[in-house]
Amino acid sequence: MSETVKTKAPRNPLFSKKNKKLITDPLTDNNPVTIQVLGICSALAITVQVEQGVVMGGAVLFVLVLGNLIISLLRNLIPSRIRIIVQLVVVAALVIIVNEVLKAFLPDVSEKLSVFVGLIITNCIIMGRFEAFAMANKPWPSVMDAIGNGLGYAGLLILVAVFRELFGSGTLYGFPIFGDYIEGNGLYSLGYVNNNMMILPPMALIIVGVIIWVQRSRNKALIEEY
Amino acid sequence: MAINRDSNRYTFSFAIVLVVVVGSILALLAMGLKPRQDRNTEVKKKLDILSAMMDIDALNINRSNGEAEFDKYVNLDKAVVLDANGNIKEAVVAFNIDIKKEYKDKTLNSKDRNFPLFVGAKDGETMYVIPVVGNGLWGPIWGNISVGEDLKTIKGASFGHKGETPGLGAEISQSFFINRWIGEGISDQNGIAIKFEVVKNGSGKETTKVDGITGGTITSVGVQEMVNRCMKPYVEYFKTL
Amino acid sequence: MESTLDIFIKAIFSENMIFAYFLGMCSYLAVSKTVKTAVGLGAAVIFVLVVTVPVNYLLENYLLKEGALEWLNPDWGVNGASTIDLSFLSFIMFIAVVASIVQLVEMLVEKFAPALYGALGIFLPLIAVNCSILGGALFMQDRQYSTILDATAFSLGSGIGWFIAIVAIAAIREKIRYSNVPAPLRGLGITFIITGLMGIAFMSFSGIKYGKDEVKAKTVQSDDTNNINP
Repeated sequence: MSETVKTKAPRNPLFSKKNKKLITDPLTDNNPVTIQVLGICSALAITVQVEQGVVMGGAVLFVLVLGNLIISLLRNLIPSRIRIIVQLVVVAALVIIVNEVLKAFLPDVSEKLSVFVGLIITNCIIMGRFEAFAMANKPWPSVMDAIGNGLGYAGLLILVAVFRELFGSGTLYGFPIFGDYIEGNGLYSLGYVNNNMMILPPMALIIVGVIIWVQRSRNKALIEEY
Repeated sequence: MAINRDSNRYTFSFAIVLVVVVGSILALLAMGLKPRQDRNTEVKKKLDILSAMMDIDALNINRSNGEAEFDKYVNLDKAVVLDANGNIKEAVVAFNIDIKKEYKDKTLNSKDRNFPLFVGAKDGETMYVIPVVGNGLWGPIWGNISVGEDLKTIKGASFGHKGETPGLGAEISQSFFINRWIGEGISDQNGIAIKFEVVKNGSGKETTKVDGITGGTITSVGVQEMVNRCMKPYVEYFKTL
Repeated sequence: MESTLDIFIKAIFSENMIFAYFLGMCSYLAVSKTVKTAVGLGAAVIFVLVVTVPVNYLLENYLLKEGALEWLNPDWGVNGASTIDLSFLSFIMFIAVVASIVQLVEMLVEKFAPALYGALGIFLPLIAVNCSILGGALFMQDRQYSTILDATAFSLGSGIGWFIAIVAIAAIREKIRYSNVPAPLRGLGITFIITGLMGIAFMSFSGIKYGKDEVKAKTVQSDDTNNINP
């Protein structure tokens, strides 16, 4: 009896409070990058430009949502002994799809992202959500969970990229904000100079560190004990 | 449930079904998208060659009209392939040569590399486009350099890179750096190849010298090495024309 | 043209997996609280990288790459094998190789070197999803190393680089317990910032001059740097 109740309850209200929470939580207080410390590997190297951040965030979101859905649908069929391998195969297949589509339709972005598309496979967020959520939950909540985590990841990626591109190259999404650097007009005529440090890899880490700082000083509950 | 999910038989059949399904989906997708991807690479190559001859951004040449524009300016039938000494190699198609791959391939003796040369025309003037490849700070750099009818003067260039530091070495692909190359001669009056020197002290106005990029020294030196090395067979060949 | 030694040194310092590419950050942050565990994980990463990259190199060059199947004899009934391009399968092949080799290594080590298993054991499963391992394979593919020796040198260098990075951060984190870090920065935040600073320090290695290109540009006729290389 109790089983039938369980299957019905979450299905009827598609956007019940619980389901909404699945989306909103990872955006802030349970952000996959700053709180759960997952998926940093591929996150930082490609945040030099907003465009790359958007594409990467979109790719991860796509893989995560479809993967969570597939795993959740198959969760009663997957033999437990080869569970991890099955999950890896699903992620790898989805990532290959993303890679092939990018190569065919967005060749320039694909060239810039190079190996980092492939590294989505080992993005811990994806395997983490498969293992922690999709294996134990029904398809719809799994999709919600995936959207939440995917957006949380993409959001952080874009935030970091905005800082780095704006201060590093003086552009946003390729559009000059401070005037033309080479022509030397706009702000540059006043002596403003792009901060080349921002473009270098280490600054990505420092920016994430500062974001964590800001987030944790606003929400004291998140503070760690070393 | 009747199926024992932990039995070997079930595990094996599940694995086989999974592999077959995933494999066929991916194979279908890859086959379907392959022509498009190949075309992308081809168009990119054509755009690279064109960008050495003219400012393709200003002329609004992009991926969508790249092929048609390329055919307008460049005649692939006239393209030749040279060996390291500047002699024409028969039976090799210039456009199909991947000089980046040949450059990386250590098993290939540098004497056996192919040197493609593309011939085009812009505003009635014949232009020779020379593809070059070398190493920057982080990875490969490459480019195309076009030489005018006098077989000496550089008329245009385009440089690309895989992962040079943005804002520093990566600036080699910017027009201000490329403009420093335009007008330089690739050989002196005796037909000896000029060895360019990328300099830091601003003396780039002198012949044989080109100003480097501040903060991008290693990449600039990489460009210098690349141009000097790759130009040699062509200078030899131009003597015979 | 890079020599094998160049590739090795470059992989350790200027192209360090952690500081230049952020690969394997998840386990880098999670397992760097004490030096002892960091050494264990670092050693395991070196080990697995050195085993998997050459295997993936062989796969890439004799199975996946366009034209890689050239060795198939037409007499066996396979025509046009040299035009087959299976590279779209490379991600799935690489990750399968990594996962199964990690499993295999775990079993072998457990059977033949129980002492080593005691030290590395718990880290091995973690490594299958460590980005630096798959990253090693993907960089190998991307950079098209021309010999297996180069690929191995690259994997050993990357592993050592990763080892240095995690041991260094673990040592710093052990000490930082005694300093007065602002509360919201404690733990993760300060680790990020320290890693960033270490990355800046490591950037100075990018000034190392590799290869003989420089010399070559100055002397006209030395065309055969290839043959001098080991």
